[in-house]
Formats: sequence, C-alpha cells, structure tokens
Amino acid sequence: MEASITLKKVGKLIGDKTILAGLSFGVERGSLVAIVGVNDTGKSSLLKLLSGFENPNYGQVFIHGLDMEKRRCETRQLIGYVPHDNDLDPWLTLEQNIRFTANLYKVGKATASSLIAKYSKALGLSPYLNNYAMNVSNGTQKKTMLIRELVHNPDVLILDEPTGYMDAESIRHTWDLLKELKGDKTIIYVSNSLTEIEQAHDRILVFHDGRILMDGHLDKLLESTLDYHQFQVEFINLTDDLYKKLSNVATVVSPNRLDNIFHFYGRTRTVFFDVIRAASDELMVDLNVKKLGLRDLLDSEFAGKGLD
Amino acid sequence: MRRIWLWQNRLLFSIVLLLALPVLIYGLISVSFKNIMVQSLSGVPFDIWVIPGLIFIISSLGLFPLLYRDFFDLRIHRKVLVNVALAPYRKRELIGGYLCVAGIEAFLIGIISLLIISGFTAYSYSLLESFALLLCLVLYLFLLGNLFISMGLLIDTVTTLFLMTALNFIFLIFGNGFIIEFGFFPVNLATFLKWLPLSIPFQIFQLFNQTGLMDWALFAGLTIFGLLWTLANTSILKRKLQH
Repeated sequence: MEASITLKKVGKLIGDKTILAGLSFGVERGSLVAIVGVNDTGKSSLLKLLSGFENPNYGQVFIHGLDMEKRRCETRQLIGYVPHDNDLDPWLTLEQNIRFTANLYKVGKATASSLIAKYSKALGLSPYLNNYAMNVSNGTQKKTMLIRELVHNPDVLILDEPTGYMDAESIRHTWDLLKELKGDKTIIYVSNSLTEIEQAHDRILVFHDGRILMDGHLDKLLESTLDYHQFQVEFINLTDDLYKKLSNVATVVSPNRLDNIFHFYGRTRTVFFDVIRAASDELMVDLNVKKLGLRDLLDSEFAGKGLD
Repeated sequence: MRRIWLWQNRLLFSIVLLLALPVLIYGLISVSFKNIMVQSLSGVPFDIWVIPGLIFIISSLGLFPLLYRDFFDLRIHRKVLVNVALAPYRKRELIGGYLCVAGIEAFLIGIISLLIISGFTAYSYSLLESFALLLCLVLYLFLLGNLFISMGLLIDTVTTLFLMTALNFIFLIFGNGFIIEFGFFPVNLATFLKWLPLSIPFQIFQLFNQTGLMDWALFAGLTIFGLLWTLANTSILKRKLQH
C-alpha cells in the first residue's frame, strides 16, 4: 500500500535532551495507528512534528510524498491535528469555532454546514453547538476539536488523546466515528488508554526514550508471548513457605505476591493445575486466568525484561 | 468573520463601550485640559486643536485589546494562535490578516468617535483635512499594531505585558504630541520625541493642517518601515511557534 506518512531519520531535541532519536518509519494510507508509551517518552512530540506544529531538528517528514518543510502549505491542507489540550476560542460558540476553521481552509458554507450537522449528530454534539466554548465540559470541547479538524476533510488525522476527558458514551461514539473514517483517512493517535488501543488499531508503535521499541499489530507484538497466560490464586493465608513452594514449581514464570494473592505467568494452562496440585492442602478464595494483553507486554518490556 | 461573531456575541456591552470611550476621553482630557492650555501654540482653541489627538488615542485604545487577545492571551492561555498557524497560510499572511482586521476595527472606532466628539464641540476640519487625518490614522494604526504584535509575541508573562502596555500608553498619550505639543517640551526631548516613528504620522497631519502640504516622502518612508516591521513580526512568530 501507498505510504501516507514517512519519517526519515527524524530527530527532535529540547535543549540538550533528545526527545526523538533518528526515527524512520512509514504509515500506510487509510490505516489506524496507535502510539503508546510511558509519559515524557516523545509521543506527543512526534505528533507535533507530524502535524507541522513543530519542526524536527534533523531528518525529514513526508505527507503523501510531500516534504513537510518544503511544501508546507500543501501538506498542512492534508492534515487535521487535535492536540491534547483544549485550544478553542472561549468567546466563540462551538459552531463558530468550527466554522472559523472551515473559513481558514476555504470550505464552502453549505459543505461546512452539512459536515457540521453530520459529525455533530455522530458525536452527540448538536445540542451544544450554540454554547460558548468556555461554558461546556472538556469532553465536549474535545469532540468540537475533532469536528473542527474533520470539517476541512483532511487525509491525515493526528489525534493526541482523541477521547480525553470524555464519558463512556462519548468515547464509544468517537471510536465508532473514527473506525468509520479509517480507510478513507489515515489516523494516527496517542492514547494512554490501553483498552482503547487494543480495540482500535491496525498497528501499534510502542515508544520508549524517543525510539520505537515495538511496531506491529497487537497479535504480532504478542506473538512471542502468545501461549503465555497470567494466573492469580488468592489464598486464605499465603505463608512464606507456601509462596516459596509454589514459586519453585518448574513451570511457573515470574512469580510474585500481593498479600495473600499469588500471581504468576505460565506458558500453558496446565501450569495452573501444577500450582493447584502443589497447594491442594491450602484454602483458596479466588482464582483468575487471563490471556496476556498490551499492558502485560508493556510492563514486561519497560521493566527491561521479557517474560522468557 | 470571527471579529463580527465576537461583536455579535457581546453586542450590547460592546456598543456601550464604543459609545462610552469617546465620551469619557473627551470629558476627562479635553474638558479639563482646555482650562490649563487655553489654546495651542499656533493659537487654535485647545478643545478644537486636541480633537485629532483624541481620535488617535481612542483608536489606540481600541486596537490594543484586539491584538493582545490574538497574540498574547490566545497564544499563551488557549493556544488558539498555534492552531490558526497550522492552517495553510504563510506566517506573513497571518500577521498581515490579523493586523488588517484589527486596524480596520480600530479605524472604525476612530471614525465613530470622531462623529461623537464632533457633537460636543465645534469641529472645524474640512473634508480634505478630515481625509488627511484618517489617512495618517491608518498609517499610525499600522505602526502601532506592529508594536502591539511584537509585544504580544515577545512577552510571555501577563505582568510584564501589562507594565509594558501601561508604559506605552503613558508614552502614547503624553509623549506623542496628541495632547501636549512638542513645543512645550525642552528642545532636546522634543527632538527625540519628534523622530519616534509612532509620533510622525500625527506630525504629518499637523503639517498638512497648518500648511496644506502633505509630506509624502515621510509617509512612504514610514509605510516601508511598517512593512519591514511586519516582516520582523513574521519572523518572531515563526521563532515563537518553532515553525
């Protein structure tokens, strides 16, 4: 597939600190790409570079093959950027804020009206359109910011916490809309909600210290740990001897405890029965088995050790 | 369009302010000062002589909040300027656009004030003199707008900006020849004040008023200076936004 966004050895420094270190990757047109990582790792800085909000210190960013630095006006027409923080004009109504952007991008009045009506309905924003930006909740402002960028029909949507401050229903509406737009638009977003990322992505970029640590679909990222399961057994009384005994079961991986809960990983479900057998004389309160997810993967990666 | 929406959204309050400003300025400056300076150095009654200066002052007061809002408040506190700067325009188009819109609004405030103040006093300027006055006002607002944009972009803290603004207005009101003629200042200070770019448009008008001659060379020179200042502001905006 054709590349929508291409980065070539892109670096960003703030003072002496390297925020992004020689990043090179491409994003396919129409794909939904999630960026995840711990705080201050360069995720938002990357979005700022992609949106033209900031320039890289070195390297090049291409949007649909156009160099962002040399073809600034053309590439900006292609991009819609929703930043993390609210940036609406507080003294304008939500609709005026959206129409202002529509005017900036020379969108016709009728087109703007129909797009505002369409997206407002999809996100449940219609009742608030005539309210001043300063008088509505942060979640409603975030939805307005998303519509404001959609109204000029960009090919690439860059979203920093797209569902930030939103309630559960608004989050659902927003993702329904974004999934509908996927394919037509390239969407690249940063989120700290791993559940959202697990449910909405074609590809995940795991960021750490300004570099891409992992890159791919969740299934691919979890490939090496695909057989692993996470187990939890809660005892009435998890003594030190019992913890030691269970930890020494040959098939148990990365055991640890929290009060009376014994937590461990295992490559097959049979490990669970090995532990149950070893603890058959003890009173158990609760059992829990879970397949590994993104959080487990990130926890193990950021702790600097894989599961193996 | 955005400025019209903003006017619409607080129409009554804006109209009250628009009408109150010239009345207050006229009442507080002209009515009191005419008892101190009965007539200008050229023998014109002070309350007639001071009218153009009052229009310049009122327009300055009308211009400041517009540019403060866009280049300081909405840059520092809400990042609206950053979002606007992402639109597919060159920075000089953005600066020029903001300057133009704010200048037109301040100019209209100036004209409305002129009409209001004319109702209080015997306005004695001819059509040609009024045209010269408005032409010089445009040049003055162009330069002052650039000054406000530079301040809004270069200063990042509210306290510093407000102190600088207060200093500016004291300087504009008392050191620009709007109310107190340069002839009342010591020679050295008067020479210094006369050559400041912001005081020149008013002097061009005064010269035309007294002699009927328009100093087009100075007018053109200042226009070029203003254009260069706009380009400098473009560069400051780029640096500030790291674009």
